[in-house]
Amino acid sequence: MPKHIASGLKYLAAVKLKDMGKTHQEIAKELSVDRSTISHYLNGSNLSWNSIEVARTITELSPRDFMIMAFAVLDEPEKSRKIVNICRERYFEAIVEDSCIGCGLCVNACTMKAIGLESLKAHADSIRCCGCQLCEDECPTNSIKILEIEYD
Amino acid sequence: MIRNLKEVQDNNFDITRDAEEVRKLSFNDPTCLGCGICESTCPVEAITINAVAADARKRVSNKVYFSGHEKIAQNFKDEFDAQRVSIDESKCVLCGMCSGLCPVDALVLTIDGVPIKEIDAYPHYNAFSEIDDDECIYCKRCEIACPRDAIVIERVLPNRADLVTGEIEVNDEECIYCGICEELCPAEAIVVDKETGKESIEIDTDKCVYCLVCKKSCPVNAIKALCRACSYGEYDLDPANAVVTGNSIIDPDLCVYCGWCEGVCPTDAAKVKKPFEGSIEIDDEKCQACGACVDICQCNALAFPISPGPGSRMEHVVANGDFCVKCKACAKACPNGAITVTRTEVDHTPISSTTWKEALDAIKD
Repeated sequence: MPKHIASGLKYLAAVKLKDMGKTHQEIAKELSVDRSTISHYLNGSNLSWNSIEVARTITELSPRDFMIMAFAVLDEPEKSRKIVNICRERYFEAIVEDSCIGCGLCVNACTMKAIGLESLKAHADSIRCCGCQLCEDECPTNSIKILEIEYD
Repeated sequence: MIRNLKEVQDNNFDITRDAEEVRKLSFNDPTCLGCGICESTCPVEAITINAVAADARKRVSNKVYFSGHEKIAQNFKDEFDAQRVSIDESKCVLCGMCSGLCPVDALVLTIDGVPIKEIDAYPHYNAFSEIDDDECIYCKRCEIACPRDAIVIERVLPNRADLVTGEIEVNDEECIYCGICEELCPAEAIVVDKETGKESIEIDTDKCVYCLVCKKSCPVNAIKALCRACSYGEYDLDPANAVVTGNSIIDPDLCVYCGWCEGVCPTDAAKVKKPFEGSIEIDDEKCQACGACVDICQCNALAFPISPGPGSRMEHVVANGDFCVKCKACAKACPNGAITVTRTEVDHTPISSTTWKEALDAIKD
């Protein structure tokens, strides 16, 4: 079953990438999947609609649950990061305040590898942020704020 | 969440977080001054200073209380042996602030094996101690004065035989092997075997300084000796052979930049730059001469004054600001609040992080 859900997530990612105007070949490369598999996905074959439904439900969970589920069903962390990034519907901005002490706990906590340390201060890449707020939980000085961006 | 691991060995310990990078905070108890900067700096309140342990340490290591006050000493059990600093590893976030602000590197944070002192982003104090081998005459004054035994002077002395010149000879026909010369020789250069049948006399010219005591004391005039230093010294002796060479080593783990070595150095070889500048004052009205400050001071900057004689009135304790590092351990230890240490300058490398800058500013008065 996890494999089916993983395929469902890959399907959703492929569709999104196609909507962004990418070719089958580019999508295959991006998701490290066979080109033929991508073509099958996008032609609506070789995949159970049920798994896609489950996968879609997962993407609609809270950002943290979505991220955890995606990492659970997809085997490689790097692939999981990519798919979470492509499939997510919500966007976030991470703000690090000056009270940051540079302990690096957020760097370790961030599954999306969106945070790095620079001059003893954490710097978060909002483009990679999945909004799970694990960093907020870890921060000993409450210096990280994750804000959701709403586009009109 | 990645948990911190703590490894304790005697009074030292390491706290490690092994994740994206390996962060390791090491505490080295013998280096610690007990100043308490780490305790007041820690942003997560994980550090506690055990001031009593600080006092006990000198007694444990030397078995002699520096101040000599038995009344203080009796408060501590013989086996009293606690670390000066405790860190709760469940609270510690390994930010390294304690390490960055520790004036003597008793706490050192390493990231992937590199001490933060060597990482540009982290601040460190502009402090150093050095002995210039070109200026050093290897007199060992600094080695003796150093309150932390941080200095080792290894010196190579010239050969005694290269510093004297002369001739010495024993006439075996005349010698009666009485041993008078052997007993008198100040350089212990003569060995006489007085046993009947085995009589012999040996003079070690490596030890002989041609003082002629043997010649003058010989009851039978068997020794012919002369000192050539006055008449031929400049031909026989090469001043280059009289040079003392050596090596001076300061142990960076023990040095606290107190400045004693610079203070006692007869040349300009020892140089010390302290991390803090400021002043130390003792309120003699409040001081009860308990000696806690004298015992806790790692710099021997505090002492009981020596009385010039009966009936003279003196201060209870005197402080020498020249050798004080303004660490404030004495002020913390004083039960009567008699000591005021003021830190006016904290010399550190530039830092862009606001929190770190605030922490460094906070240790200034």
